[in-house]
Amino acid sequence: MTDAFIVLENVSKRYSRGGETLQVLDEFNLSIPESDFVALMGPSGSGKTTILNLVGGLDSCDSGVVTVAGAPVSAMSRRELPAWRSRHVGFVFQSFNLLPVLTAQENVMLPLQLTPLSGPERRQQAEFALDIVGLSDRATHRPTQLSGGEEQRVAIARAIATDPDVIIADEPTGDLDRKSADGVLEILARLNSELGKTILMVTHDPLAAKKARRLLELDKGVLVEDQLQEGA
Amino acid sequence: MARKTRNGLTVVSISVAVFLLCFLIGIVQGLEASVRSASATRLVTQSAVSLFVSLPTSYQQKIDSVDGVYLSTKFRWFGAYYQERENFFAQFAVDPNRFLDMYTKDIEILEGPDGITGPEARVAVQKAFASDRRAAIIGTGLRDDERYGFRIGDTVPLIPLLYQRADGGAWDFVIVGYYQPLKERIPDTTMYFRADYLNEAFESGEAYGDIAAGVYYINTLDNAPVEQVAEEIDEMFANGPQRTQTITEAAFASFFISAMGNLPLFLGTIGGAVLFSIFFSVVNTMMISGRQRIQEAGILQALGFRPITSTLLLIYEGLLISLIGGGCGIVLAVTTEGLMIRMLGESIRNYHVTPDMVMLAVATSSILGIVAGLAAGLPFLRYRPTEALRSIG
Repeated sequence: MTDAFIVLENVSKRYSRGGETLQVLDEFNLSIPESDFVALMGPSGSGKTTILNLVGGLDSCDSGVVTVAGAPVSAMSRRELPAWRSRHVGFVFQSFNLLPVLTAQENVMLPLQLTPLSGPERRQQAEFALDIVGLSDRATHRPTQLSGGEEQRVAIARAIATDPDVIIADEPTGDLDRKSADGVLEILARLNSELGKTILMVTHDPLAAKKARRLLELDKGVLVEDQLQEGA
Repeated sequence: MARKTRNGLTVVSISVAVFLLCFLIGIVQGLEASVRSASATRLVTQSAVSLFVSLPTSYQQKIDSVDGVYLSTKFRWFGAYYQERENFFAQFAVDPNRFLDMYTKDIEILEGPDGITGPEARVAVQKAFASDRRAAIIGTGLRDDERYGFRIGDTVPLIPLLYQRADGGAWDFVIVGYYQPLKERIPDTTMYFRADYLNEAFESGEAYGDIAAGVYYINTLDNAPVEQVAEEIDEMFANGPQRTQTITEAAFASFFISAMGNLPLFLGTIGGAVLFSIFFSVVNTMMISGRQRIQEAGILQALGFRPITSTLLLIYEGLLISLIGGGCGIVLAVTTEGLMIRMLGESIRNYHVTPDMVMLAVATSSILGIVAGLAAGLPFLRYRPTEALRSIG
């Protein structure tokens, strides 16, 4: 476990809803090496998204330890987490979550506001990220002027703009047609293989999961399958 | 699109609120201006019974004899209109020479007969008053108003509402000069004419009315104890045919405002309630806007921004919207000032949008924007990123 890049050690997480307590993860353990591409599958409520949120520092565990690239994420305070996220994690959401009032380029530049880069440098970095996802020609378009696939590619460009260590993708193809989904998965695969990004992706789509190098299947917070995929 | 519409409507609401704020303050200040600029050393002697009861002309000599009195003039409401009932303006019967001497610091005679202007105009007007009992001076407003357009030398027939002539006709007045007010409480749409023109007509039977003075305006000597002079005048007539009440001109002006039933308080209460409602609706709109943007706050948090960033953005947005709305309201208030003065007419002729009011409007808009932004943005601080991202707005 010492050379693992993402580590979840004896992690427990409960949610309280409507007076009921739901134990999503109980003493859960997981280890992911650097530059891996992992797909998380499982039925709703199995704990997939909870794992993403804990790794991405969007949520905190009740007990246990979460470490990413050696950083003790679970020990960080609410004040420390945003700065850490901005430097180390890129998020891709199912519903894209672009800001509708901003252009594609401005959306991509948004996380760069938190870096010491100058305005022209931020612009250049955003252009580079958009180029990687093949949307240089759509830089000035607003989200409403883009297709779903294009929106998700802009979201991926935003996720990689700060050159993070980890990309967390929560059902990135859930709202897309097959063709657009394939395009998005192709980009994620390239980011993993060519740029060495560690990718943790939740999906319900078996075809999307096949793009990952490793497939983890969860059920009620328990890892029921962990397999390396050939040809991914 | 929905957001643009909402922001547009919010801007309009704030514009209306700020315009209303300026308008109401303008009215209240306009009402109070007459009191502010009224003299505290000039006295008004009126009937103790009612303002509408005239005092005898015989009182004038007695008033003049009181220690501390420098000068007095009759001041009697005439009440007539020019051609149409809508063409109504104030006319007062006065002792012309005394009136002009009394108001040297309050009005300036701009022009007398034969185009005489400058310091000689006053003397020329006094001569004209002496030579023609129908002589009258008018404010520049009556000269400039298209409905009247009176000029020096014109004979102006006024149709009486109070004092009918025996022949059923109009009273003729000859314009002998224009005056310009030097103090804001004095209107520029008033006509002053000889009181003896009226009284002689009543005496000869040319017209119907009682020979009287209306009220007396009294200038006191410098350093004279004004309150004591007033008391002496009232004591002198305590057993007379008409008991008197002598008050300062400032108090007299206040009396007219209070006669409207404490209008400033009324306007302040109603206006305040309306403003309060509009301001609350703006805050509510901003809070709705905030609730619909919780997910955006979640996105920003996921990207690494701290929760306070979203709160500050909403405060900035609230401030911007409020200042744009406030600016539009101020522009509306300033550009409609002339129109409002015409609409309000003589009742509130000192309506003005002053720099102080503009500053108040800017401050109010700013506070509104900050409060609305805070009310909408503070809840963002409570949300964890996962909760915010789950929000559907």
